[in-house]
Amino acid sequence: MNGCIVAFCCEHSAYPAADLAGKLRLHYPENLRVIRVPCAGQVDVIHILKAFENGAAAVLVLGCEDGACHHISGNTRAKERVKYCNMLLKEVGVDGRPVAMFNLSPNAPHKFVRAVNEITKIKKESGR
Amino acid sequence: METKIGIFLCNCGEAIRNIDFAATKEEVAQIPGVTCVNLSSNLCLKEGKEKMISCIKKENIDRVVVAACSPDFKEHFFRQVLESAGLNGHLFSMANIREQCSWAHEGDVTVKAVEVIKMAVNRARLLQPVKKKKFPVNREVLVFGGGFAAINAALQLSRVGLRTTLLEREAILGSETVELGSLCGFDISSMMSEVEGDENIEILTSAEVTAAAGKIGGFTVRIRKGGEEISHKYGAVVLATGYQTKLALEPELKSDINIVSQEKLCRMLEDPNLEIRPRTIGFMFDFSDENSRLSTLATLNNALAAKQKWDSEIYVFCKSVKVDGPGAEKLYREARDCGVVFLKCEARPRITADNGRVKIEAKDVFLGEDTILACDLLVAEELLLPSEGTEALSSLLNIRRDSRGFYQDENVHLYPVASEKKGIFFVGGCRGDLDLSRVLTDVSSVVVSVYELLSSGNILTEVEKVKADPQKCVACLTCIRVCPHDAIQLVRVDGGKEVAEVFDLACDACGVCAAICPAKAIKFRAYRDEEILAQIEAIGES
Amino acid sequence: MGNNDVLVVGSGISGIISALELANAGVNVYLLEKEAVVGGHSASFCCKATNVCSKCSACVVPDKIREAVINPRIRLLTNSTIKKLSGELGNFRVEITQQPRYIDVEKCIACGLCTEVCPADPKAVYPPTVEATPFCYILNEVLCLRFKGEKCDICRENCPTRAIEFELKPKEQELSVGAIIVATGFDVFDARKKGSLGYGRYANVLTGLDLEQIFTREGYLRLPVSGEEPHNIAFIQCVGSRDEDHDYCSQVCCKYAMKLAGLIKYQSPDTKVTIFYIDLQTAGKGFAQFYEEYKESIWFVRGVPVEILQTASGELEVRFENISQGKVCRDTFDLVVLSVGISPGKNSWGLARILGINLADDGFFDTKDSLSSNETNVDGIFLAGTCQGPKDIPDSVAHGIAAASKTIQALGGVASQRRGNQRGH
Repeated sequence: MNGCIVAFCCEHSAYPAADLAGKLRLHYPENLRVIRVPCAGQVDVIHILKAFENGAAAVLVLGCEDGACHHISGNTRAKERVKYCNMLLKEVGVDGRPVAMFNLSPNAPHKFVRAVNEITKIKKESGR
Repeated sequence: METKIGIFLCNCGEAIRNIDFAATKEEVAQIPGVTCVNLSSNLCLKEGKEKMISCIKKENIDRVVVAACSPDFKEHFFRQVLESAGLNGHLFSMANIREQCSWAHEGDVTVKAVEVIKMAVNRARLLQPVKKKKFPVNREVLVFGGGFAAINAALQLSRVGLRTTLLEREAILGSETVELGSLCGFDISSMMSEVEGDENIEILTSAEVTAAAGKIGGFTVRIRKGGEEISHKYGAVVLATGYQTKLALEPELKSDINIVSQEKLCRMLEDPNLEIRPRTIGFMFDFSDENSRLSTLATLNNALAAKQKWDSEIYVFCKSVKVDGPGAEKLYREARDCGVVFLKCEARPRITADNGRVKIEAKDVFLGEDTILACDLLVAEELLLPSEGTEALSSLLNIRRDSRGFYQDENVHLYPVASEKKGIFFVGGCRGDLDLSRVLTDVSSVVVSVYELLSSGNILTEVEKVKADPQKCVACLTCIRVCPHDAIQLVRVDGGKEVAEVFDLACDACGVCAAICPAKAIKFRAYRDEEILAQIEAIGES
Repeated sequence: MGNNDVLVVGSGISGIISALELANAGVNVYLLEKEAVVGGHSASFCCKATNVCSKCSACVVPDKIREAVINPRIRLLTNSTIKKLSGELGNFRVEITQQPRYIDVEKCIACGLCTEVCPADPKAVYPPTVEATPFCYILNEVLCLRFKGEKCDICRENCPTRAIEFELKPKEQELSVGAIIVATGFDVFDARKKGSLGYGRYANVLTGLDLEQIFTREGYLRLPVSGEEPHNIAFIQCVGSRDEDHDYCSQVCCKYAMKLAGLIKYQSPDTKVTIFYIDLQTAGKGFAQFYEEYKESIWFVRGVPVEILQTASGELEVRFENISQGKVCRDTFDLVVLSVGISPGKNSWGLARILGINLADDGFFDTKDSLSSNETNVDGIFLAGTCQGPKDIPDSVAHGIAAASKTIQALGGVASQRRGNQRGH
């Protein structure tokens, strides 16, 4: 995998935003791999940890804006899970917040690109 | 069992130029389980589609991967192509090599494209077919409430052929609606007689609900009336419990007879035996509660009526006039043309009782000075609140309310009359400060929503998209507590064990339950752990 | 037994919602749209979330458009207008004229080759706006060299799917439907009519809609010409509402102005934002709390300016009556945003004549009586959305659903054979 960033994209918000970014020809790092999920709340701890086990350098979880989750509270659960993952990873020596959660709307392609760029920066800063 | 995977690449009319399709084709053909790889330039057009169907049939392909544009764009289309070729539409996985690959990066993206296709193939290998089934639903509707919205909803539901029960807490229907009728100029009594005479409508007054269970298509409700409790099943539930108003006044002024509510003023205006007509009337709104759309309308209507009937001097104190409803601005203009004076203030005026009159001290923004008004009658500020029992009812039915306690979560993705639980709807004042026009729109909306669900007596829906394995379930109830749509229930299986079961009709396929189940008993078809992990494993293989 | 198909005129959010509700109830729908793309105005609105959703509902629109476009019961007819109507409820005959697109929607795969090879400047063939549906390229007759008499065939030759065809004439078609829903939306008030506010003359005077489009396309707010970040912004409310020509409140402007202001403050907390208003419309779900939060960081000034002038240094000078101070003041801003209101569509009059429905005094379509906001004076013709009067997105959605409801009831309920309630994943 070597330095890939795995992005779990909610099909209601992040996935269409990523598509829109492509339509607008907004460029972002090529090492992003998107996994489409029905809700950010469906992303399990084991999914995130497996990504690291397979060599991912960082993981993004992208869901709807706070208060606008299609499934009411999925994005809130995702946020908690991301915090928990970072804590677990720190305990095994993977420091520097390698998992990040971002909230966006389907018509916010710029936010998608910003999220990718930010996690790339965090990744570089922790030397991964 | 060996699956036969067919990969269909598309270069969108050769417009995708930063992917080496020849090399890609060669590489993905070597993935175990892949029977054939085809390259097309127009998969979504007639020619490409026909070639795809004949290839699927010829090679006996049972899992299809299309590498082209975004699934958001064409997934639905390709699912139908699979059905035309005799395959279940869910045995399909799409690799987005256009919007999220070719268009998103500069330079050659062949490496990423190959990986993305491998991810889709790994997923496709594990996909299971999804079937649809018709679920029978009960065709009766329960409407909570007996006011304007409830009565109208019942009448319209009856008209579309659905049997409706009106459940009213008070002894008679429409007790709060009389003033509304006189304010808005319609005849409430004809509506009442229509409702009472309608065979399709059952009216239960002095009744209340003591328990509610079940899901859409079969809500079981226990109703207590006259000391008796009966249980009945309904296909859908409509809440039309209205709102209440409370005077926003200092406690020492509450008993002052010259300070009244809008409703009291209405009654005074209708009273032919009124002894003394107030010569100066003050109105106040928009200070304690800025959700004052209804207060604005009531003030404008009452002010105009008082001008006409009594020729009183009228002063209105408010922060802003809320005219965001049909006809409101016209009413505001009419009121001012009639001589009603509006004083806009930033801070709430001080009210004191003064020698049988009411004194109002305020600072008007335009005059910039402190003004003092002594009036004979003050129509005080009213707070708009959810009606009594709203909180109890919402916890009985387990539905969310907004930050002010009115129904419906403020989530923008919920239709105006829908709740997060399928089959439960809200209309009218219980949703907040809706004016008459919006209430009527609500009623029409709810009628069609309920009609769509119940009229045919059954609902076609996908079966077992999310399934709990009774062998693994330990009935910890976590999934039941977590499900945002309240779609999971506890059922008894053979052997007497109680396990969680996902009710397909109510399920909205979000997968939150699957993620949280500590025993990993819940599987979300197409997004099972295996399918996600298989995609992750494909990353970095090249 | 009459025809149970329905024609929905207009594919803005209300039209789309009406079409979806009808389709879910088993009704076949023709969705007519005069432009080349569907979605109406609200399709170009931006997300105004800060760190929480600001409930502007702009994200609802692309979702619903996608649902409508793939629904098998909804047949989309773009570039189409109504020429003539005859018949009655249950049995209408509608003559439609479809303007040639020159690029076949069924064949265009949005590869972009045509734009690359077009020799005209500016290009005569281009993609629709990125959020547009159908995502089919557009050929502009006005700019196209071939339509100006030159011999040019380059785009057609290069199109890999043969989607471009020039020898096309407007197509006439007759539709048989049982009922019609008019959902033709609104026109944005043309701020140029208030000449003293400088829209169209000064580059840094924009409307609220301009701002929405800038946020959707750029993600950040930058001044149109200089590209710099504005540090001092003014919003002016009630431009084209609550005046002699518009005796109504447009209902959406206070909300969108405050939400845009909130977004600007969130992205650049040091930017100063001022809102000039008459009465602040803060009614509606959750909005008053929103206002409480922003009261501290945004300047609210009572009093609407009537004149904007550009200074020598390019700043915008706004003259207004500061009511609390009781005198005329002058303030300069980098950017002035005019909160333009909802005006009746200019085509409403023509459509009203063809359909035989009435217009109200304010120019919006009239309703049968005060207790119905969907029914017109003609049985079987209904109204949905802002063409009947100003509404925000949630109200437009509710109104669209209500129109579908009234339509189904008028058609006497539809055969229950083809009914379904499923949203497939």
